[in-house]
Amino acid sequence: MKKIRDLANSLHTNALFFVSPILLLLAWAWVCSAGIFPEQILVSPAGVYQTAHELWGSGELQSHLHDSLYRLVLGFAIGVLLGMVFGVLMGLFKPIDAFFAPSFNALRQVPTIAFIPMLVMIFGVEETFKIVVVAKAAFFPITMATYDAVKGIPRSYFEVSKVYQLSHFSLVRHVILPATVPPILTGLRLALGRSWMVLVAAELIAADSGIGQMMEMGRQMFRIDIVLVGVLVTGLIGFLLDRSLRSVETHLGRWQQS
Amino acid sequence: MNFSVKNGTPVIAWLLVGFAFMFGLLTDANADPAKEVRIATVAYNVNGKIGFNGTAAIVEEQGWLKEELKKQGVTLTWVPVTAQSVGVTINEGFANKSIDFAGYGDLPSIILNSGGIETRIVVPGGRGNNVYLVVPPNSTAKTLADLKGKRIALHRGRPWEIAFARYVAASGFKFSDFKISNLNPGAGAAALAAGNVDAFVTLSDAYQLEDKKVGKIIWSTKSAAQDWKMRAELWGAKDFIAQNPAITQIIATAYVRAVYWTSQEEHLDDYLKIANQNGQPENVFRREYSNDSVPWKIRWSPLFDDLVLDHYANVAQYSRQANLIRKDVNTKQLFDARFLNAAIKELKLEGYWQPRKVALKGA
Repeated sequence: MKKIRDLANSLHTNALFFVSPILLLLAWAWVCSAGIFPEQILVSPAGVYQTAHELWGSGELQSHLHDSLYRLVLGFAIGVLLGMVFGVLMGLFKPIDAFFAPSFNALRQVPTIAFIPMLVMIFGVEETFKIVVVAKAAFFPITMATYDAVKGIPRSYFEVSKVYQLSHFSLVRHVILPATVPPILTGLRLALGRSWMVLVAAELIAADSGIGQMMEMGRQMFRIDIVLVGVLVTGLIGFLLDRSLRSVETHLGRWQQS
Repeated sequence: MNFSVKNGTPVIAWLLVGFAFMFGLLTDANADPAKEVRIATVAYNVNGKIGFNGTAAIVEEQGWLKEELKKQGVTLTWVPVTAQSVGVTINEGFANKSIDFAGYGDLPSIILNSGGIETRIVVPGGRGNNVYLVVPPNSTAKTLADLKGKRIALHRGRPWEIAFARYVAASGFKFSDFKISNLNPGAGAAALAAGNVDAFVTLSDAYQLEDKKVGKIIWSTKSAAQDWKMRAELWGAKDFIAQNPAITQIIATAYVRAVYWTSQEEHLDDYLKIANQNGQPENVFRREYSNDSVPWKIRWSPLFDDLVLDHYANVAQYSRQANLIRKDVNTKQLFDARFLNAAIKELKLEGYWQPRKVALKGA
């Protein structure tokens, strides 16, 4: 009986999951058919689907996706690595914290988008600039999350490891890492979402390829259908990235509990 | 004889009221329905003041258009558009009906009409502006061939793409022979200055880049055939023109008055002062206009001649081949010569400009 109730509950939740996207789609279709906006400005869902199909068929969409995701993966990996190292150092060593804290906190407040013109000047309009933008967007939330996580480790853990005379490596491997994984994962999720958004924005401004550039070119060529395909793909990718990190989080959470 | 009806009001008074009512109906039926006309034009903010570009600045300075529209009870609203994204902004303006007329370029107009939003050229914009290819000052590149495989900043879908595409084709190359960076004019100039691109395609601001010693012009349409220059015209929304022919006529006449004034050599200095509020030094414009294959007076010819017709046929063909547009555009239907021809007649300017080969006939 309980099983049946569980199944019904999960069906109910899953159904709810699809309600808002379907409603959004219906509202979009309705606004299109009502003719509130010219068809060239607000393309119907069917029109956007057809364009997406064409872009996929010609391989254009895959090639833009490939370029964007490559930049995301590389930039994000660099940002995460640097952010974690920096966060651990700042969390563990007071002088480092005191030295970097003011400039770190000031720079953290500046939106990555505002850095784009300067980054273009320094790194040019080639790949490096986009990877730096992504790395920068990931670096700050990761550093913050790592810093807070390290700071949040109970003092007793360190005292115990001192008693056991743990090496620095063992301290990181066996104490710091396990204790900081959950908050850092939350930081990762936040950073990944930000990196993706910033990358698409950077591609809108300066790029030869990528989802952002596909949208910018679509706008310049008055192909709002292409722009909308870009919007949907950007949203979908962002959603999937978030979802996958969320499941990693749940998985690790379970492991921690057990 | 009693001319009054029962209540004592004289019949003649009733007749007068009746006539007045009918007259009112008739004038209303003849008048255009629009009470406001919105004209988009490239504008610049210099020292907190908005200045218009080119002919729109002269039209505004002359004040004739505003006065004439006022007599008809119509308000004139200029819609300023930044030079960084003229085509996109104006195309979106036409699409969502937030503008009625616009002075802007050839390629964005073709892109718009191919997208199913119909506009018409009301007054052609003369013989066009020059397009320049600029390289960093220390570059060894002298021709396009030297830039093969190099990075070139070009804002796609803007009018200068056509001139550059012709140069590319005439030199025996394809776009794919270069790395084209889709950068707006501001970003393109910055990229050139920072050495991030090997060349930059732009308009007369090329001289400014030379003056600042961040660029060197290696090619321009000054030396090319006349129809290689980029074109910009006064465009109107097809529906607005159809519903408001009288207002359209006033606007066309105002633009022709303005270009007639400008085309007189003795007004060159004044023109530069008025139409030169875009933050570029006067000597930049003097250089843009000097040593040109087209004399000053002819440069401002608003006639619908074969130059305009061929140019648009070419732009449409290029856009289709380059896959910028999906549907063919019948460029012949883009020309609405009625208003221009009536304006030329009204201002007694027949024969002042000579058409190149044939002029388009308009009713």
